[in-house]
Amino acid sequence: MNSVRSYVLLLRWQYLRYRPLLPLLAGIQVALGVGVIFGFSFLVPHLTSTVVLYFATGAPTLSLILMGLTALPQEVAQNRSTGKFTYVAALPVPRLAPMFADVTFWMLIQLPGAVVTLLLANLRFGLHLNISGLVVPAVILVALTASAVGYAIAVALPPNATSQVSSFVSIALLLFSPINFPLDRLPVWLQDVHRALPVTYMSDIMRGGLTGRYDVSRWLAFAVVAAWCALGLTVSGRAARHRG
Amino acid sequence: MTLLQVEHVTKRYRGGVLANDDICLDVAAGEVFGLLGPNGAGKTTLVSQVLGLLLPDEGTIRIGDVDAIADPAAARRMCSFQPQAAAPVDGLSAREAIELIGAIRGGRKATVRTRASELLDALDLADVADRAVPMSGGMARLTGFCMAAVVPGRVVVLDEPTNDVDPLRRRALWQEIRKVADDGAAVLLVTHNVLEAERCVDRLAIIGGGRVLAQGPPASLKAQLGAPLRLDCALDDPTNVPRLPAAITLSSVTGRRLLAHVQHHDVAAAVAWAQSAQDEGTIVEFSLTAASLEDVYARWVEAEASAA
Ligand SMILES: Nc1ncnc2c1ncn2[C@@H]1O[C@H](COP(=O)(O)OP(=O)(O)OP(=O)(O)O)[C@@H](O)[C@H]1O
Ligand SMILES: [Mg+2]
Repeated sequence: MNSVRSYVLLLRWQYLRYRPLLPLLAGIQVALGVGVIFGFSFLVPHLTSTVVLYFATGAPTLSLILMGLTALPQEVAQNRSTGKFTYVAALPVPRLAPMFADVTFWMLIQLPGAVVTLLLANLRFGLHLNISGLVVPAVILVALTASAVGYAIAVALPPNATSQVSSFVSIALLLFSPINFPLDRLPVWLQDVHRALPVTYMSDIMRGGLTGRYDVSRWLAFAVVAAWCALGLTVSGRAARHRG
Repeated sequence: MTLLQVEHVTKRYRGGVLANDDICLDVAAGEVFGLLGPNGAGKTTLVSQVLGLLLPDEGTIRIGDVDAIADPAAARRMCSFQPQAAAPVDGLSAREAIELIGAIRGGRKATVRTRASELLDALDLADVADRAVPMSGGMARLTGFCMAAVVPGRVVVLDEPTNDVDPLRRRALWQEIRKVADDGAAVLLVTHNVLEAERCVDRLAIIGGGRVLAQGPPASLKAQLGAPLRLDCALDDPTNVPRLPAAITLSSVTGRRLLAHVQHHDVAAAVAWAQSAQDEGTIVEFSLTAASLEDVYARWVEAEASAA
Protein backbone atom coordinates (compact mmCIF):
# COMPACT_ATOMS: atom_id res chain seq x y z
CA MET A 1 0.00 0.00 0.00
CA ASN A 2 2.74 2.38 1.01
CA SER A 3 4.74 1.17 -1.96
CA VAL A 4 1.90 1.98 -4.32
CA ARG A 5 1.50 5.42 -2.74
CA SER A 6 5.23 6.10 -3.12
CA TYR A 7 5.10 4.98 -6.73
CA VAL A 8 2.15 7.20 -7.57
CA LEU A 9 3.76 10.21 -5.89
CA LEU A 10 7.08 9.68 -7.66
CA LEU A 11 5.20 9.39 -10.94
CA ARG A 12 3.48 12.67 -10.13
CA TRP A 13 6.90 14.22 -9.44
CA GLN A 14 8.09 13.09 -12.87
CA TYR A 15 4.97 14.55 -14.44
CA LEU A 16 5.39 17.90 -12.66
CA ARG A 17 9.03 18.06 -13.65
CA TYR A 18 8.35 17.51 -17.35
CA ARG A 19 5.00 19.30 -17.42
CA PRO A 20 6.13 22.17 -19.68
CA LEU A 21 7.81 19.73 -22.08
CA LEU A 22 4.94 17.27 -22.46
CA PRO A 23 3.63 18.63 -25.79
CA LEU A 24 7.16 18.64 -27.20
CA LEU A 25 7.97 15.13 -25.98
CA ALA A 26 4.72 13.65 -27.25
CA GLY A 27 5.05 15.60 -30.50
CA ILE A 28 8.49 14.11 -31.11
CA GLN A 29 7.11 10.63 -30.56
CA VAL A 30 4.26 11.24 -33.00
CA ALA A 31 6.65 12.66 -35.61
CA LEU A 32 8.88 9.59 -35.20
CA GLY A 33 5.83 7.37 -35.52
CA VAL A 34 4.88 9.02 -38.80
CA GLY A 35 8.50 9.08 -39.96
CA VAL A 36 8.92 5.36 -39.40
CA ILE A 37 6.06 4.50 -41.73
CA PHE A 38 6.85 6.94 -44.52
CA GLY A 39 10.62 6.73 -44.30
CA PHE A 40 10.20 3.04 -44.49
CA SER A 41 8.46 3.02 -47.83
CA PHE A 42 11.51 4.78 -49.32
CA LEU A 43 13.86 2.30 -47.71
CA VAL A 44 12.20 -0.85 -48.88
CA PRO A 45 10.69 -0.50 -52.33
CA HIS A 46 8.89 -3.84 -52.51
CA LEU A 47 6.61 -4.04 -49.57
CA THR A 48 5.31 -7.47 -48.80
CA SER A 49 2.82 -7.97 -46.01
CA THR A 50 5.53 -9.68 -43.94
CA VAL A 51 7.81 -6.68 -44.23
CA VAL A 52 5.03 -4.33 -43.19
CA LEU A 53 4.08 -6.59 -40.30
CA TYR A 54 7.59 -6.73 -38.91
CA PHE A 55 8.36 -3.13 -39.49
CA ALA A 56 5.20 -1.59 -38.08
CA THR A 57 5.13 -3.75 -34.95
CA GLY A 58 8.91 -3.61 -34.58
CA ALA A 59 8.95 0.18 -34.37
CA PRO A 60 7.15 0.49 -31.01
CA THR A 61 9.10 -2.46 -29.65
CA LEU A 62 12.36 -0.85 -30.65
CA SER A 63 11.45 2.47 -29.13
CA LEU A 64 10.43 0.85 -25.83
CA ILE A 65 13.74 -1.00 -25.68
CA LEU A 66 15.72 2.12 -26.54
CA MET A 67 13.82 4.08 -23.91
CA GLY A 68 14.87 1.56 -21.27
CA LEU A 69 18.43 1.14 -22.46
CA THR A 70 19.36 4.73 -23.27
CA ALA A 71 16.85 7.44 -22.27
CA LEU A 72 16.22 6.09 -18.78
CA PRO A 73 19.87 5.52 -17.81
CA GLN A 74 20.72 8.97 -19.13
CA GLU A 75 18.14 10.50 -16.87
CA VAL A 76 19.46 8.48 -13.92
CA ALA A 77 23.02 9.63 -14.70
CA GLN A 78 21.81 13.22 -14.84
CA ASN A 79 20.00 12.78 -11.53
CA ARG A 80 23.17 11.41 -9.99
CA SER A 81 25.11 14.47 -11.15
CA THR A 82 22.56 16.99 -9.91
CA GLY A 83 21.96 15.28 -6.56
CA LYS A 84 18.34 14.32 -7.23
CA PHE A 85 19.28 10.66 -7.16
CA THR A 86 20.75 10.92 -3.67
CA TYR A 87 17.82 13.02 -2.54
CA VAL A 88 15.32 10.40 -3.64
CA ALA A 89 17.49 7.63 -2.20
CA ALA A 90 17.21 9.31 1.21
CA LEU A 91 13.39 9.27 1.04
CA PRO A 92 11.39 6.48 2.66
CA VAL A 93 10.38 4.84 -0.62
CA PRO A 94 11.03 1.28 -1.87
CA ARG A 95 14.41 1.16 -3.62
CA LEU A 96 13.01 0.44 -7.08
CA ALA A 97 9.97 2.72 -6.83
CA PRO A 98 11.76 5.61 -8.61
CA MET A 99 12.67 3.29 -11.47
CA PHE A 100 9.10 2.03 -11.80
CA ALA A 101 7.83 5.60 -11.82
CA ASP A 102 10.31 6.66 -14.50
CA VAL A 103 9.51 3.64 -16.68
CA THR A 104 5.80 4.33 -16.42
CA PHE A 105 6.25 7.96 -17.32
CA TRP A 106 8.36 7.33 -20.41
CA MET A 107 6.13 4.46 -21.48
CA LEU A 108 3.11 6.77 -21.42
CA ILE A 109 5.02 9.40 -23.40
CA GLN A 110 5.61 6.82 -26.13
CA LEU A 111 2.01 5.76 -26.37
CA PRO A 112 0.77 8.38 -28.90
CA GLY A 113 3.70 7.67 -31.23
CA ALA A 114 3.03 3.94 -31.19
CA VAL A 115 -0.66 4.45 -31.91
CA VAL A 116 0.13 6.70 -34.87
CA THR A 117 2.59 4.20 -36.34
CA LEU A 118 0.14 1.34 -36.14
CA LEU A 119 -2.79 3.35 -37.47
CA LEU A 120 -0.80 4.63 -40.43
CA ALA A 121 0.54 1.16 -41.18
CA ASN A 122 -3.02 -0.05 -41.14
CA LEU A 123 -4.36 2.73 -43.38
CA ARG A 124 -1.48 3.07 -45.78
CA PHE A 125 -0.16 -0.49 -46.06
CA GLY A 126 -3.12 -2.54 -44.93
CA LEU A 127 -1.46 -3.94 -41.81
CA HIS A 128 -3.97 -6.25 -40.25
CA LEU A 129 -4.36 -5.38 -36.56
CA ASN A 130 -5.92 -7.80 -34.12
CA ILE A 131 -5.22 -6.27 -30.75
CA SER A 132 -5.62 -8.50 -27.73
CA GLY A 133 -5.40 -7.76 -24.01
CA LEU A 134 -2.02 -9.47 -23.98
CA VAL A 135 -0.52 -6.34 -25.50
CA VAL A 136 -0.67 -4.68 -22.10
CA PRO A 137 1.56 -7.17 -20.25
CA ALA A 138 3.73 -7.30 -23.37
CA VAL A 139 4.38 -3.55 -23.38
CA ILE A 140 5.04 -3.53 -19.64
CA LEU A 141 7.39 -6.52 -19.75
CA VAL A 142 9.37 -5.14 -22.68
CA ALA A 143 9.73 -1.68 -21.14
CA LEU A 144 10.55 -3.02 -17.70
CA THR A 145 13.12 -5.56 -18.86
CA ALA A 146 15.04 -3.02 -20.93
CA SER A 147 14.76 -0.42 -18.18
CA ALA A 148 15.97 -2.77 -15.46
CA VAL A 149 19.15 -3.37 -17.47
CA GLY A 150 19.55 0.33 -18.24
CA TYR A 151 18.96 1.27 -14.63
CA ALA A 152 21.53 -1.21 -13.32
CA ILE A 153 24.11 0.22 -15.74
CA ALA A 154 23.34 3.79 -14.69
CA VAL A 155 23.52 3.05 -10.97
CA ALA A 156 26.63 0.90 -11.06
CA LEU A 157 28.80 3.03 -13.38
CA PRO A 158 30.06 6.59 -12.92
CA PRO A 159 27.54 9.04 -14.42
CA ASN A 160 29.89 10.21 -17.16
CA ALA A 161 30.36 6.65 -18.44
CA THR A 162 26.66 5.80 -18.51
CA SER A 163 25.81 7.28 -21.86
CA GLN A 164 28.72 5.55 -23.64
CA VAL A 165 28.05 2.17 -22.09
CA SER A 166 24.30 2.24 -22.52
CA SER A 167 24.69 3.24 -26.18
CA PHE A 168 27.15 0.43 -26.69
CA VAL A 169 24.85 -2.13 -25.10
CA SER A 170 21.87 -1.01 -27.13
CA ILE A 171 23.80 -1.03 -30.38
CA ALA A 172 25.33 -4.43 -29.70
CA LEU A 173 21.96 -5.80 -28.71
CA LEU A 174 19.83 -4.23 -31.39
CA LEU A 175 21.99 -3.95 -34.51
CA PHE A 176 21.51 -7.56 -35.54
CA SER A 177 18.30 -8.14 -33.70
CA PRO A 178 15.31 -9.65 -35.37
CA ILE A 179 12.91 -6.92 -34.39
CA ASN A 180 12.14 -5.42 -37.77
CA PHE A 181 12.63 -8.70 -39.65
CA PRO A 182 12.07 -12.40 -38.98
CA LEU A 183 14.66 -14.40 -37.08
CA ASP A 184 15.37 -16.75 -40.00
CA ARG A 185 17.01 -13.93 -41.99
CA LEU A 186 20.00 -14.23 -39.69
CA PRO A 187 22.86 -16.75 -40.00
CA VAL A 188 22.22 -19.89 -37.97
CA TRP A 189 24.71 -19.15 -35.20
CA LEU A 190 23.23 -15.69 -34.63
CA GLN A 191 19.78 -17.24 -34.54
CA ASP A 192 20.99 -19.44 -31.72
CA VAL A 193 22.36 -16.46 -29.85
CA HIS A 194 19.03 -14.72 -30.16
CA ARG A 195 17.12 -17.75 -28.94
CA ALA A 196 18.83 -17.16 -25.62
CA LEU A 197 18.55 -13.37 -25.59
CA PRO A 198 15.21 -11.69 -24.88
CA VAL A 199 15.00 -9.39 -27.91
CA THR A 200 13.36 -11.82 -30.34
CA TYR A 201 10.79 -12.79 -27.76
CA MET A 202 10.13 -9.18 -26.92
CA SER A 203 9.25 -8.37 -30.50
CA ASP A 204 7.23 -11.57 -30.68
CA ILE A 205 4.97 -10.77 -27.73
CA MET A 206 4.50 -7.23 -29.02
CA ARG A 207 3.67 -8.42 -32.53
CA GLY A 208 1.44 -11.16 -31.15
CA GLY A 209 -0.43 -8.78 -28.87
CA LEU A 210 -1.02 -6.36 -31.75
CA THR A 211 -1.79 -8.74 -34.62
CA GLY A 212 -2.35 -12.15 -33.09
CA ARG A 213 0.62 -13.59 -35.03
CA TYR A 214 3.33 -15.18 -32.88
CA ASP A 215 6.49 -16.76 -34.31
CA VAL A 216 6.90 -19.13 -31.38
CA SER A 217 4.46 -20.29 -28.72
CA ARG A 218 3.16 -17.19 -26.97
CA TRP A 219 3.68 -18.82 -23.58
CA LEU A 220 7.28 -19.61 -24.35
CA ALA A 221 7.82 -16.02 -25.53
CA PHE A 222 6.18 -14.52 -22.44
CA ALA A 223 8.05 -16.92 -20.16
CA VAL A 224 11.44 -16.01 -21.63
CA VAL A 225 10.82 -12.27 -21.42
CA ALA A 226 9.42 -12.59 -17.89
CA ALA A 227 12.49 -14.55 -16.84
CA TRP A 228 14.81 -11.89 -18.23
CA CYS A 229 12.70 -9.23 -16.58
CA ALA A 230 12.99 -10.97 -13.20
CA LEU A 231 16.73 -11.26 -13.68
CA GLY A 232 17.02 -7.59 -14.66
CA LEU A 233 14.96 -6.46 -11.68
CA THR A 234 17.05 -8.57 -9.32
CA VAL A 235 20.23 -6.99 -10.62
CA SER A 236 18.92 -3.43 -10.56
CA GLY A 237 17.35 -3.99 -7.13
CA ARG A 238 20.73 -5.05 -5.89
CA ALA A 239 22.39 -2.03 -7.47
CA ALA A 240 19.79 0.24 -5.88
CA ARG A 241 20.26 -1.26 -2.42
CA HIS A 242 24.04 -1.08 -2.58
CA ARG A 243 25.58 1.33 -0.08
CA GLY A 244 29.08 2.54 -1.00
CA MET B 1 15.73 10.90 25.34
CA THR B 2 18.54 10.11 22.89
CA LEU B 3 17.17 9.76 19.37
CA LEU B 4 20.39 9.59 17.40
CA GLN B 5 23.40 7.74 18.67
CA VAL B 6 26.59 7.48 16.64
CA GLU B 7 29.29 5.29 18.13
CA HIS B 8 32.84 4.78 16.85
CA VAL B 9 31.85 5.37 13.24
CA THR B 10 34.77 4.98 10.87
CA LYS B 11 34.55 5.32 7.12
CA ARG B 12 37.33 5.01 4.57
CA TYR B 13 36.37 5.67 0.96
CA ARG B 14 37.59 3.43 -1.80
CA GLY B 15 40.70 5.26 -2.90
CA GLY B 16 41.91 5.60 0.64
CA VAL B 17 40.50 8.82 2.15
CA LEU B 18 39.76 8.27 5.84
CA ALA B 19 36.71 10.54 5.99
CA ASN B 20 35.39 9.54 9.43
CA ASP B 21 37.67 8.28 12.17
CA ASP B 22 36.04 6.89 15.31
CA ILE B 23 33.23 9.46 15.54
CA CYS B 24 30.99 9.32 18.61
CA LEU B 25 28.09 11.68 19.24
CA ASP B 26 24.47 11.62 20.26
CA VAL B 27 21.52 13.93 19.81
CA ALA B 28 18.47 14.00 22.06
CA ALA B 29 14.86 14.87 21.29
CA GLY B 30 14.39 18.62 21.38
CA GLU B 31 18.05 19.30 20.79
CA VAL B 32 19.83 21.10 17.95
CA PHE B 33 23.26 19.55 17.56
CA GLY B 34 25.75 21.44 15.41
CA LEU B 35 28.37 19.73 13.29
CA LEU B 36 31.15 22.21 12.54
CA GLY B 37 34.39 21.71 10.71
CA PRO B 38 36.44 22.81 7.73
CA ASN B 39 35.80 21.71 4.14
CA GLY B 40 36.52 18.06 3.71
CA ALA B 41 36.34 17.33 7.44
CA GLY B 42 33.87 14.48 6.88
CA LYS B 43 30.56 16.06 7.91
CA THR B 44 28.57 15.07 4.84
CA THR B 45 30.12 11.62 4.98
CA LEU B 46 28.79 11.23 8.52
CA VAL B 47 25.25 12.33 7.73
CA SER B 48 25.18 10.10 4.63
CA GLN B 49 25.80 7.13 6.90
CA VAL B 50 23.04 8.20 9.27
CA LEU B 51 20.65 8.24 6.29
CA GLY B 52 21.73 4.80 5.11
CA LEU B 53 23.27 6.10 1.90
CA LEU B 54 26.76 4.96 2.87
CA LEU B 55 27.90 1.96 4.84
CA PRO B 56 30.36 2.60 7.71
CA ASP B 57 33.41 0.38 7.93
CA GLU B 58 33.10 0.25 11.70
CA GLY B 59 30.83 1.53 14.42
CA THR B 60 27.12 1.64 15.12
CA ILE B 61 24.34 4.13 14.41
CA ARG B 62 21.05 3.93 16.28
CA ILE B 63 17.99 6.05 15.55
CA GLY B 64 15.45 5.61 18.31
CA ASP B 65 15.29 1.84 18.75
CA VAL B 66 16.43 1.13 15.23
CA ASP B 67 19.84 -0.12 14.17
CA ALA B 68 20.27 2.23 11.21
CA ILE B 69 23.04 0.17 9.63
CA ALA B 70 21.11 -3.11 9.68
CA ASP B 71 17.79 -1.51 8.73
CA PRO B 72 18.41 1.54 6.54
CA ALA B 73 14.78 1.58 5.34
CA ALA B 74 13.56 2.11 8.91
CA ALA B 75 16.25 4.75 9.41
CA ARG B 76 14.99 6.65 6.37
CA ARG B 77 11.43 6.58 7.64
CA MET B 78 12.63 8.21 10.84
CA CYS B 79 14.91 10.84 9.29
CA SER B 80 14.10 13.81 7.13
CA PHE B 81 16.92 15.40 5.21
CA GLN B 82 18.08 18.59 3.55
CA PRO B 83 21.09 17.83 1.36
CA GLN B 84 24.13 20.04 0.91
CA ALA B 85 23.42 20.07 -2.84
CA ALA B 86 20.39 22.11 -3.87
CA ALA B 87 17.14 20.21 -3.43
CA PRO B 88 15.79 18.86 -6.73
CA VAL B 89 13.05 21.38 -7.39
CA ASP B 90 13.45 22.02 -11.13
CA GLY B 91 10.13 22.31 -12.89
CA LEU B 92 8.18 22.50 -9.62
CA SER B 93 6.93 25.45 -7.65
CA ALA B 94 8.16 25.66 -4.07
CA ARG B 95 4.75 24.72 -2.74
CA GLU B 96 4.43 21.73 -5.06
CA ALA B 97 7.86 20.47 -4.06
CA ILE B 98 7.16 20.84 -0.35
CA GLU B 99 3.73 19.21 -0.50
CA LEU B 100 5.06 16.39 -2.64
CA ILE B 101 7.76 15.49 -0.13
CA GLY B 102 5.25 15.87 2.71
CA ALA B 103 3.04 13.30 0.99
CA ILE B 104 5.95 10.96 0.26
CA ARG B 105 6.92 11.15 3.93
CA GLY B 106 3.43 9.95 4.76
CA GLY B 107 1.81 13.22 5.85
CA ARG B 108 -1.95 13.69 5.63
CA LYS B 109 -3.03 16.00 2.87
CA ALA B 110 -4.62 18.72 5.00
CA THR B 111 -1.80 18.71 7.55
CA VAL B 112 0.83 18.91 4.85
CA ARG B 113 -0.96 21.76 3.13
CA THR B 114 -1.25 23.80 6.32
CA ARG B 115 2.32 23.14 7.39
CA ALA B 116 3.67 24.03 3.92
CA SER B 117 1.89 27.39 4.03
CA GLU B 118 3.16 28.01 7.54
CA LEU B 119 6.77 27.38 6.52
CA LEU B 120 6.46 29.45 3.33
CA ASP B 121 5.06 32.35 5.33
CA ALA B 122 7.68 32.08 8.04
CA LEU B 123 10.51 32.19 5.49
CA ASP B 124 8.85 34.96 3.48
CA LEU B 125 8.42 32.82 0.38
CA ALA B 126 4.65 33.00 0.12
CA ASP B 127 4.76 35.46 -2.80
CA VAL B 128 6.93 33.26 -5.00
CA ALA B 129 5.75 29.88 -3.75
CA ASP B 130 3.42 29.18 -6.62
CA ARG B 131 5.64 30.11 -9.55
CA ALA B 132 7.07 27.09 -11.34
CA VAL B 133 10.03 29.05 -12.71
CA PRO B 134 13.68 28.36 -11.93
CA MET B 135 14.27 29.44 -8.32
CA SER B 136 17.12 31.62 -7.14
CA GLY B 137 19.87 29.79 -5.24
CA GLY B 138 18.70 30.96 -1.84
CA MET B 139 15.07 30.19 -2.53
CA ALA B 140 15.94 26.69 -3.69
CA ARG B 141 17.92 26.24 -0.46
CA LEU B 142 15.02 27.47 1.68
CA THR B 143 12.61 25.24 -0.23
CA GLY B 144 14.97 22.38 0.54
CA PHE B 145 14.67 23.20 4.22
CA CYS B 146 10.87 23.29 4.01
CA MET B 147 10.93 19.88 2.30
CA ALA B 148 12.83 18.51 5.30
CA ALA B 149 10.61 20.27 7.82
CA VAL B 150 7.13 19.77 6.34
CA VAL B 151 6.79 16.29 7.83
CA PRO B 152 9.88 16.20 10.01
CA GLY B 153 11.40 12.88 10.98
CA ARG B 154 12.24 12.13 14.59
CA VAL B 155 15.74 12.98 13.44
CA VAL B 156 16.09 15.96 11.09
CA VAL B 157 19.38 16.16 9.22
CA LEU B 158 20.24 19.55 7.71
CA ASP B 159 23.45 19.80 5.66
CA GLU B 160 24.34 23.51 5.46
CA PRO B 161 20.81 24.94 5.40
CA THR B 162 21.86 28.61 5.73
CA ASN B 163 24.16 28.75 2.68
CA ASP B 164 23.01 31.22 -0.02
CA VAL B 165 20.30 32.65 2.25
CA ASP B 166 19.98 36.41 2.82
CA PRO B 167 20.45 37.77 6.40
CA LEU B 168 16.80 38.39 7.23
CA ARG B 169 15.57 35.09 5.93
CA ARG B 170 18.51 33.44 7.67
CA ARG B 171 17.23 34.83 10.95
CA ALA B 172 13.79 33.36 10.23
CA LEU B 173 15.40 30.09 9.19
CA TRP B 174 17.27 29.74 12.50
CA GLN B 175 13.96 30.28 14.28
CA GLU B 176 12.29 27.55 12.24
CA ILE B 177 15.16 25.18 12.92
CA ARG B 178 14.75 25.86 16.61
CA LYS B 179 11.01 25.22 16.33
CA VAL B 180 11.54 21.85 14.66
CA ALA B 181 13.60 20.83 17.70
CA ASP B 182 11.14 22.35 20.16
CA ASP B 183 8.44 20.20 18.56
CA GLY B 184 10.44 17.15 19.62
CA ALA B 185 12.83 16.28 16.79
CA ALA B 186 16.54 15.71 17.20
CA VAL B 187 18.19 18.11 14.75
CA LEU B 188 21.63 17.33 13.36
CA LEU B 189 22.84 20.52 11.70
CA VAL B 190 25.94 20.91 9.55
CA THR B 191 27.01 24.52 9.18
CA HIS B 192 29.94 26.83 8.51
CA ASN B 193 28.05 29.73 9.99
CA VAL B 194 29.75 29.52 13.37
CA LEU B 195 28.61 32.83 14.82
CA GLU B 196 24.93 32.31 14.04
CA ALA B 197 25.04 28.66 15.02
CA GLU B 198 26.32 29.66 18.44
CA ARG B 199 22.93 31.19 19.23
CA CYS B 200 20.87 28.26 17.94
CA VAL B 201 22.65 25.02 18.82
CA ASP B 202 22.40 23.32 22.20
CA ARG B 203 25.53 21.31 21.71
CA LEU B 204 28.03 20.90 18.93
CA ALA B 205 30.97 18.89 17.74
CA ILE B 206 33.95 20.36 15.94
CA ILE B 207 35.20 17.88 13.37
CA GLY B 208 38.57 17.97 11.67
CA GLY B 209 40.35 15.35 9.61
CA GLY B 210 37.44 12.97 10.19
CA ARG B 211 37.73 13.08 13.99
CA VAL B 212 35.74 14.81 16.71
CA LEU B 213 38.14 17.46 18.04
CA ALA B 214 35.86 18.92 20.70
CA GLN B 215 32.28 18.43 21.77
CA GLY B 216 29.88 20.09 24.17
CA PRO B 217 27.59 23.10 24.70
CA PRO B 218 28.97 26.37 23.26
CA ALA B 219 29.37 27.86 26.74
CA SER B 220 31.51 25.05 28.10
CA LEU B 221 33.66 24.93 24.97
CA LYS B 222 34.27 28.65 25.38
CA ALA B 223 35.08 28.15 29.06
CA GLN B 224 37.64 25.49 28.08
CA LEU B 225 39.30 28.10 25.93
CA GLY B 226 40.48 29.67 29.18
CA ALA B 227 40.25 33.19 27.82
CA PRO B 228 36.83 34.76 28.11
CA LEU B 229 37.68 37.97 26.23
CA ARG B 230 39.13 38.67 22.84
CA LEU B 231 41.20 41.71 21.93
CA ASP B 232 40.99 42.46 18.23
CA CYS B 233 43.45 45.09 16.90
CA ALA B 234 43.98 46.58 13.45
CA LEU B 235 47.70 47.21 12.98
CA ASP B 236 48.99 50.28 11.23
CA ASP B 237 51.92 48.42 9.71
CA PRO B 238 51.73 44.60 9.51
CA THR B 239 55.52 44.33 9.73
CA ASN B 240 55.59 46.30 12.97
CA VAL B 241 53.86 44.08 15.55
CA PRO B 242 53.91 45.78 18.97
CA ARG B 243 55.18 43.96 22.06
CA LEU B 244 52.30 42.81 24.24
CA PRO B 245 52.27 43.14 28.05
CA ALA B 246 51.88 40.00 30.21
CA ALA B 247 48.15 40.66 30.65
CA ILE B 248 47.53 39.95 26.95
CA THR B 249 48.17 36.57 25.28
CA LEU B 250 48.83 36.73 21.55
CA SER B 251 46.64 34.37 19.57
CA SER B 252 47.35 35.23 15.94
CA VAL B 253 48.49 37.91 13.51
CA THR B 254 47.04 37.73 10.02
CA GLY B 255 47.91 40.68 7.81
CA ARG B 256 46.87 43.79 9.70
CA ARG B 257 44.71 41.88 12.15
CA LEU B 258 46.07 40.97 15.58
CA LEU B 259 43.99 38.70 17.82
CA ALA B 260 44.76 38.15 21.50
CA HIS B 261 43.14 36.67 24.61
CA VAL B 262 42.49 38.54 27.82
CA GLN B 263 41.31 37.40 31.26
CA HIS B 264 38.54 39.31 33.05
CA HIS B 265 40.86 40.67 35.76
CA ASP B 266 43.26 42.00 33.10
CA VAL B 267 40.67 44.07 31.27
CA ALA B 268 41.87 47.41 32.65
CA ALA B 269 45.53 46.70 31.81
CA ALA B 270 44.65 45.46 28.34
CA VAL B 271 42.51 48.47 27.49
CA ALA B 272 45.17 50.86 28.86
CA TRP B 273 47.84 49.21 26.71
CA ALA B 274 45.66 49.24 23.59
CA GLN B 275 44.73 52.86 24.15
CA SER B 276 48.35 53.92 24.40
CA ALA B 277 49.30 51.86 21.35
CA GLN B 278 46.54 53.58 19.46
CA ASP B 279 47.78 56.98 20.65
CA GLU B 280 51.28 56.07 19.46
CA GLY B 281 49.83 55.00 16.13
CA THR B 282 51.03 51.35 16.07
CA ILE B 283 47.42 50.19 16.07
CA VAL B 284 44.64 51.96 14.21
CA GLU B 285 41.69 50.68 16.21
CA PHE B 286 40.83 47.93 18.67
CA SER B 287 37.88 46.20 20.27
CA LEU B 288 37.52 44.01 23.31
CA THR B 289 34.66 41.51 23.13
CA ALA B 290 33.54 38.27 24.71
CA ALA B 291 35.24 35.30 23.08
CA SER B 292 32.91 33.63 20.59
CA LEU B 293 32.45 30.15 19.27
CA GLU B 294 34.56 31.26 16.33
CA ASP B 295 37.56 31.54 18.65
CA VAL B 296 36.92 28.03 19.91
CA TYR B 297 36.55 26.80 16.35
CA ALA B 298 39.74 28.52 15.19
CA ARG B 299 41.75 27.16 18.06
CA TRP B 300 40.73 23.52 17.49
CA VAL B 301 40.87 23.58 13.72
CA GLU B 302 44.22 25.37 13.62
CA ALA B 303 45.66 22.95 16.17
CA GLU B 304 44.44 20.01 14.11
CA ALA B 305 45.86 21.51 10.91
CA SER B 306 49.29 22.11 12.41
CA ALA B 307 49.35 18.59 13.92
CA ALA B 308 48.51 17.02 10.55
N1 LIG C 1 32.49 9.46 -2.85
C1 LIG C 1 33.70 9.76 -2.38
N2 LIG C 1 34.77 9.02 -2.73
C2 LIG C 1 36.00 9.30 -2.24
N3 LIG C 1 36.26 10.29 -1.40
C3 LIG C 1 35.25 11.08 -1.02
C4 LIG C 1 33.92 10.86 -1.48
N4 LIG C 1 33.12 11.79 -0.93
C5 LIG C 1 33.89 12.55 -0.15
N5 LIG C 1 35.18 12.13 -0.20
C6 LIG C 1 36.30 12.70 0.55
O1 LIG C 1 36.04 12.54 1.95
C7 LIG C 1 36.43 13.69 2.67
C8 LIG C 1 35.25 14.22 3.46
O2 LIG C 1 34.28 14.71 2.57
P1 LIG C 1 32.89 15.30 3.08
O3 LIG C 1 32.07 15.57 1.88
O4 LIG C 1 32.33 14.41 4.12
O5 LIG C 1 33.39 16.67 3.74
P2 LIG C 1 32.53 17.83 4.43
O6 LIG C 1 32.98 17.92 5.84
O7 LIG C 1 31.08 17.62 4.19
O8 LIG C 1 33.06 19.11 3.64
P3 LIG C 1 32.29 20.45 3.14
O9 LIG C 1 32.24 21.37 4.31
O10 LIG C 1 33.18 21.00 2.08
O11 LIG C 1 30.95 20.04 2.64
C9 LIG C 1 37.01 14.66 1.64
O12 LIG C 1 38.39 14.51 1.65
C10 LIG C 1 36.44 14.19 0.33
O13 LIG C 1 37.32 14.45 -0.73
MG1 LIG D 1 29.65 18.62 3.18
